[in-house]
Amino acid sequence: MLYSIKKIHREGRGIPLSLIETRGLQKVFRQAIKDPGLAGAVKHLFTQRYKDKYAVEGIDLKIEEGETVAYVGPNGAGKSTTIKMLSGVLVPSGGEIIVDGLVPHKQRMENAQRIGAVFGQRTQLWWDIPVRESLGLLRDIYQVPADQFKQNMDVFTELLGMESFLHLSARKLSLGQRMRADLAAALLHDPKIVYLDEPTIGLDVAVKHRIRDFIKEMNRSKGTTMLLTTHDLGDIEDLCERLVIIDQGRIIYDGKLQEVKDTFARERTIHIQLSSPIPDAEELFRGLPEVQVKRSGDPKGTITEPQEGLALSIRFDRFRCTASDIVKRVMSRGEVVDFRIDEPSIEEIIRRVYDGKLDSAALSAAGKGSA
Amino acid sequence: MIAPAFKKYVSLARCSMQNTLAYRLSFILNFLASFIGLIAMYSLWQAIYTGQVQLSGFTWSQMQAYLLVTFFVNSMLSYYSESSITSKIIDGSVMMDLLRPIQFQKARLAETLGSCVLEGLLSCILIGLAAIFTFGISLPHDAGTILLFALSIVSSILLKFSIVYLSALLCFWTTSSFGIYWARTSITNLLSGALVPLAFFPGWLQSVAMVLPFQGIVNTPVTIGLGMTEGTDALQLIAIQWVWIVLLWLLGKWMWSRAVRQITIHGG
Repeated sequence: MLYSIKKIHREGRGIPLSLIETRGLQKVFRQAIKDPGLAGAVKHLFTQRYKDKYAVEGIDLKIEEGETVAYVGPNGAGKSTTIKMLSGVLVPSGGEIIVDGLVPHKQRMENAQRIGAVFGQRTQLWWDIPVRESLGLLRDIYQVPADQFKQNMDVFTELLGMESFLHLSARKLSLGQRMRADLAAALLHDPKIVYLDEPTIGLDVAVKHRIRDFIKEMNRSKGTTMLLTTHDLGDIEDLCERLVIIDQGRIIYDGKLQEVKDTFARERTIHIQLSSPIPDAEELFRGLPEVQVKRSGDPKGTITEPQEGLALSIRFDRFRCTASDIVKRVMSRGEVVDFRIDEPSIEEIIRRVYDGKLDSAALSAAGKGSA
Repeated sequence: MIAPAFKKYVSLARCSMQNTLAYRLSFILNFLASFIGLIAMYSLWQAIYTGQVQLSGFTWSQMQAYLLVTFFVNSMLSYYSESSITSKIIDGSVMMDLLRPIQFQKARLAETLGSCVLEGLLSCILIGLAAIFTFGISLPHDAGTILLFALSIVSSILLKFSIVYLSALLCFWTTSSFGIYWARTSITNLLSGALVPLAFFPGWLQSVAMVLPFQGIVNTPVTIGLGMTEGTDALQLIAIQWVWIVLLWLLGKWMWSRAVRQITIHGG
């Protein structure tokens, strides 16, 4: 049943191959089954039993040149495994991969020359020599021409603020510095594709922003295709238009970020600060569907005498009534001192997907709608 | 102008040298420890030679030279180089190597040779000191012997690397390096002639040792250096070293391709 990707493209002439293309990609790990305790361990010495664990179970993915794609999922969903297969480190158990016309695990050296990768948990810098020298080594490994190297070093040093630690060895760097240096190391040879596996894990806000800006700039100025896995939903909102959600080795959503928000993040909450309380504010919204009102104390009120009812939080479905309608109705009865609108974060949505609260059929329907 | 494909390995060697320098204190201490081992061996053999002119064809002054050359050969490619290969495999950072356009085996050789330069320098200094305090050691004096000796030393390092590399790759299957390290060290020390010259072995064990690759590590350079093997015999021993180097290198290549598939099964 499985046609080869290349064959399909030969037959269907005119459709160019995507930069990254996988079909039915699978990865099975063999896990040893051991009975508990010492007896179990001894038994395992003589009779080994194994169980097949599917880390990735049939993934079809197409990524075009210049895209920035977020690859999201809970721990153990198969994100890193997919990236390792795409980068040629792991050999797939089934299915196919073509990256820029190459089969990564078969043409590992050629593929490695064209890709860059950052695995947040590991470094590719040498532990005991200055960062500058580590980068110099990578220049020789990737055979980067001298002028290109110099130009990239200047730009990266500037954008990532690396000047202050280029002379230090990786051992002495803070996590944020190390991650910036690793990012520079991955992009030094102007790779066509960059895989980022949790590039902002454990970093403070300032460094996160710096890294995101850098990723955006590289995507914009060099057209670098980026695939990033992350648990940081700020990364996704900031960097990616396209979102791929994977759970238990399967893609459960693939589409525009905005699309998933429109489908699953319909609710908005308006927080309103009033100059004087409005009694039975609920009455204001009679006739509007699914509007919920919550009163809370004014933060300016003292603890002993909270000024009850000065703050209203109104939750509504943005496709069923508008924010202006809500505010108008409040303003008709009282003076609005201040207000802000909250939209549910993508975090909230993805958390629901992880918890299995969202129907994955609805999700994939939403994904198809956008495609 | 060096070919760019070769230059990457030269750079790796240079970085490895630099990395070794970062550990200079621990490196030197480690070295001194093995130097104390040399002194112990020296005293032991001195006691054995008391009242003896020669044993198994070795005079006392030859035995002294034997000990020094063995120390030199053994201090090349020390535990540091070996553990840097095994730890890559054990802690999974081998993955970072797979991401780069470099060949694992060649890269490890380059790194090993890089730190060998420092190891060699340091042991030359120590041997020089030792040579000042001991008398009558006979090191090679004619140019031909020195040339053959140097050639056999280089081959010995490459051969030792091939063996170390193969045993390090076994870590893919054992997921622990200590057992392998100890087994490899004791087999190499015994069968290379590092503990006792092969000439002291019973005939059968000597024959066994001579058909195995290990003798090329110590026995070949030492007997050439001491002038016990000369001319075509010496060249023949070096040729045997090279046969092993090529064979084990290819075996290493094959084992690596198996090992990479092993990552596949168990997960990186």
